[in-house]
Amino acid sequence: MTDAVVLQSKNLAGERAPSRRPYLLAMIILAVLGATLPFWVTNSPFLLILASHAVVAAIVALSLDLLTGNTGLLSFGHAAWYGFGAYAAGLLSKNFSSEILVILPLTVMAASLTALAIGAILVRQIGKTFAILTLALSQIFYALVFVFSDRTGGEDGLQGVPIITAFGQTVASPEAWYWLLYGVLVASLAGALYLRTTPLGRAWLAIKENTERARFIGINTGALKLIAYVFSAGLASLAGALFVLFNGAVSPDVLHWFESGKILMYVVLGGVGTIVGPIFGAAAFTLTEHYVSSVTDAWLIYFGGLFVLIIIVAPGGLFGIAGSLYARLAAGRETRS
Amino acid sequence: MLAISLALNGIVLGSVLLLFSLGLTLIYGVGRIVNFAHGALFSIGAMLGVWLAGQGLPMWLTLIVTPVVVGLIGAMLDWAILARIRDRPIVDSMLLTFGLALFITGILYEMGGRHVQMMPIPHMLEGATTIFGFTLPVYRLFVSLLAVMLAAGLFLFLKNSDWGLRVRAANDDPEMGACLGINREMLMHSVVGVSAALAAISGVAAAPIFMAYATVGDKILILAFMTVILGGLGSLRGAVVAAYVVGLIIVFGEGYLGGQMALMLLFVLVMAMLISWPRGFFGEGRTE
Repeated sequence: MTDAVVLQSKNLAGERAPSRRPYLLAMIILAVLGATLPFWVTNSPFLLILASHAVVAAIVALSLDLLTGNTGLLSFGHAAWYGFGAYAAGLLSKNFSSEILVILPLTVMAASLTALAIGAILVRQIGKTFAILTLALSQIFYALVFVFSDRTGGEDGLQGVPIITAFGQTVASPEAWYWLLYGVLVASLAGALYLRTTPLGRAWLAIKENTERARFIGINTGALKLIAYVFSAGLASLAGALFVLFNGAVSPDVLHWFESGKILMYVVLGGVGTIVGPIFGAAAFTLTEHYVSSVTDAWLIYFGGLFVLIIIVAPGGLFGIAGSLYARLAAGRETRS
Repeated sequence: MLAISLALNGIVLGSVLLLFSLGLTLIYGVGRIVNFAHGALFSIGAMLGVWLAGQGLPMWLTLIVTPVVVGLIGAMLDWAILARIRDRPIVDSMLLTFGLALFITGILYEMGGRHVQMMPIPHMLEGATTIFGFTLPVYRLFVSLLAVMLAAGLFLFLKNSDWGLRVRAANDDPEMGACLGINREMLMHSVVGVSAALAAISGVAAAPIFMAYATVGDKILILAFMTVILGGLGSLRGAVVAAYVVGLIIVFGEGYLGGQMALMLLFVLVMAMLISWPRGFFGEGRTE
């Protein structure tokens, strides 16, 4: 039974459609639309800010899919690294330097080193213990904000992050920010897709399919899982850093387990392991969240309900549904021609 | 002297944790489900208890009605939702219960869970008593006794009843249990129901101490997770010992280092423990 499910999900996730050209074309059109967005929404600046938030969400979603989609390890506390990045970058910009080319590498390095130390113990556990410990870790980071509330601002959040500079030029206009964020997203997406084609990516997938067999054929599963964890934490912290510099402030809410749930939701909604899916999941979710929560207070009910529904009805996510529909259409066309 | 009074409070917290994590262990043992919604059930218990007390119900009746109602809710949730993904990979069940936790928290928010509510202590249990020369509120003593008695009752019931036999059989080997004619669906409904009832009664019993609001179960859930990891996933007697260890660590940490530091201390200790003993205190935690 489990084997059948795994097979099915593999079909959903890694479906090689008979022809990849329409798929690629759609991707390119979407990418171009995304890149030219600032020209489309010139008369409603708020939309551009919302889109920027969606792009940040997409980067976080991608970072979680790097871990979950590649190795099958489920992190229920990914907000820990997102928040770590946000607070680290915020504190750096306030106390050290407002040059983005200094802040970002330092933040990512700090997060990666911390993730390396913690991950070394975490990845040795079975999946269930790993999941529980990641949730606990995010609670610890959440608690840390309040322990050092004289530095982090505690409940009020970290405020007054200065306007940052890149190569000495100030970056303040929403358009510039959008392009910066979008560029980071495209670059990390390209990196994630490239990793899939490398031996490292193949070995990760082997671990996801069957960790025990992967170990038997000589893959050092512990080390590879650790690499995935560190990559994932690093990218999530990058997203957090960009978020705080863009937003100018950050509240402890980014470390709450609701936030971790949201990040998971992006990935589940888009389809675990599809790399591209979580990005759409994040974008769709961010927009929906904004419009629904402006209508009703009970946003969490819809969010949780949708979460449960997706897991039951469409474990492959929206991308999985679209993928299987497309495959069926394409298969039908092929048999006819 | 502070140490002994902290130790007493640690035992109180440990007892609540014990009752709460037994439900977590039970549901894990039989259904292989890591229930992330267990904390939300604790919150339901606490809030329902406060509401019932506000309606004028006496304490003893609240302590009976709340677990029964929440137990039924739990059985219903299992029948309506968890049963849908019974044969899926374990990952799905974790995601599902996580979504359920968000969903329940959302509902509790709408039911007034945004504000902290107080649960009055009945007159009989007010005041303080002295044990070995140290004062302890009577109510805390009552909660620990209640928790220990319920836990002991659960153990006896598991040991001696027909239902307990089925649960232990399914715990050891679900497939073999099914082959021997155990109706897994019904068993799972009842186990989730009992587990929810345990969460609810610990919630309502602890409400005068921890208060009641929508996310009151969050912290206790993390502590309970640490408990089941320390004791070994699926090990009942491991959970008993670990509950008191965690309770003592937290209370001593809070006493000497401050509230949030205690949680970090616990996490570091758990991580250190996992390096050498990933299977918990008794070495019987599951690693598959």
